[in-house]
Amino acid sequence: MSLVISGTVPIRDLPLLTGSVELKEHFVKLDGHEIPCTMGTAAMVSAACRTCEAVRIASPTWITAGDIGDSKGSRLIYNYLIDKLASIKPSVLSLHYLMPITVLATKLIDSFGSKKPVLIADAGSMYVMKSIGASREFDLFTPDPGEMAFLADPSASHPAYMQRFLFEQDTVDVPRLVEQAYKHGNASRVLLVKGAKDYVAKEGRIVAVIEEPFIPTLEPIGGTGDTVTGIASALVSYGMEVEKAAITAARTNRVAGKLANPSTATKVREIIVQIPKALEQCMNENAKTQQDHVE
Amino acid sequence: MMKKSSGLVTFAEAREAFKAEAVLKKSSYDIKLSVPPQEFRKGCDLAVEFNIFERVGVENLLKEKRVKFIDIVSIDTPSTRPLDAVKVFDYGDSVMVRCGALKITVEKGSGLIRNISGGGCPDVPFLYIELVDRRIFEARRPKELGYSLCALCLDRAFEEALRLYESGHLGHSPN
Repeated sequence: MSLVISGTVPIRDLPLLTGSVELKEHFVKLDGHEIPCTMGTAAMVSAACRTCEAVRIASPTWITAGDIGDSKGSRLIYNYLIDKLASIKPSVLSLHYLMPITVLATKLIDSFGSKKPVLIADAGSMYVMKSIGASREFDLFTPDPGEMAFLADPSASHPAYMQRFLFEQDTVDVPRLVEQAYKHGNASRVLLVKGAKDYVAKEGRIVAVIEEPFIPTLEPIGGTGDTVTGIASALVSYGMEVEKAAITAARTNRVAGKLANPSTATKVREIIVQIPKALEQCMNENAKTQQDHVE
Repeated sequence: MMKKSSGLVTFAEAREAFKAEAVLKKSSYDIKLSVPPQEFRKGCDLAVEFNIFERVGVENLLKEKRVKFIDIVSIDTPSTRPLDAVKVFDYGDSVMVRCGALKITVEKGSGLIRNISGGGCPDVPFLYIELVDRRIFEARRPKELGYSLCALCLDRAFEEALRLYESGHLGHSPN
């Protein structure tokens, strides 16, 4: 299956770029441009690449452009996807850091037609898909608890406008927020809520809670949620069922975090390099669990 | 009919609304003049409708160009005011402050911004590059540098972290 990742990078006026990326120690290289591997889509793509390498499948195609918040790069990406997606024909499409622009997001959804790829969204792409009522078109959303509270709020168009009582709940009652999001039609088919405990829900029901290893310092590190989305996207592209990919990605991210022995000042690239080792461990555990189940 | 996820800039005088329209269009914002719903009418019955996700960019540009407006509101939400609640988490050597989905982590004592995480608008990775490894009392405010609602949430978290630092709650003795 072919994976396409779409999301901006914080480089002013960087033109639209597409292609496979080359991973370097501190940056990723795409079409001759060096892009720092910091939080955001660069971290997500890097994690996806490491995962693809580990499971020996082709690297993802990345569609990106520079956007520092002025929406210029986001518009380039939306319009490129609307025009070209039918000919690119990805089997998995992961949408990430894009400025929420409801008109363009609606056109993008309309452009899928009957041949819809497996759809994954996080960050601004997830916000806008909820805002236009397209959450149920998606196979996987990967919110953190604050974003989960936003999905649970039927009226908010952005986490900045969610109701205060939901913000108060997000660290104490994630299952209730998950239930509300499904009830109002604002959840994807599978949800992976990334937090102190990771919750995986499918069609309204929580199917897994991942708590170990617990590394509290992961949460402050910019990009550690992006890496989960990148790993999950790559595993779905590898052929793993979405629910299982979400569970494996959550575990892998935690193990990679543990291997990096992080502080609150750790950079996400220090965790990304640990992904292959962490994934191998988690895949072995998956295989063992499956074997135990058979026996 | 107004689009979902719209924001409104309200004005006391129509002249300022026209000025805002010209300034924002020149900077390629997708905006239009519209008549605000009754509950948002505060002055002249003319408002500028824009993509609410771009709130900070719109507000900064209007201020920079000295366009006088009354208020900026979201038409979608009952409260119409951005979230201002924060949560504070102590990590021993540093403190993380979160507003909405945006988090800023500041080292105790030095006030160094150690990390920024969460959020989803494209200016968040930009703000990460601009702010991480700077001391919070020397850094520029996220709402001065950013464009989006995420920047606004990060600014609120930044404001609280700075308040904690300046009041000596982060192991620093205020002068």
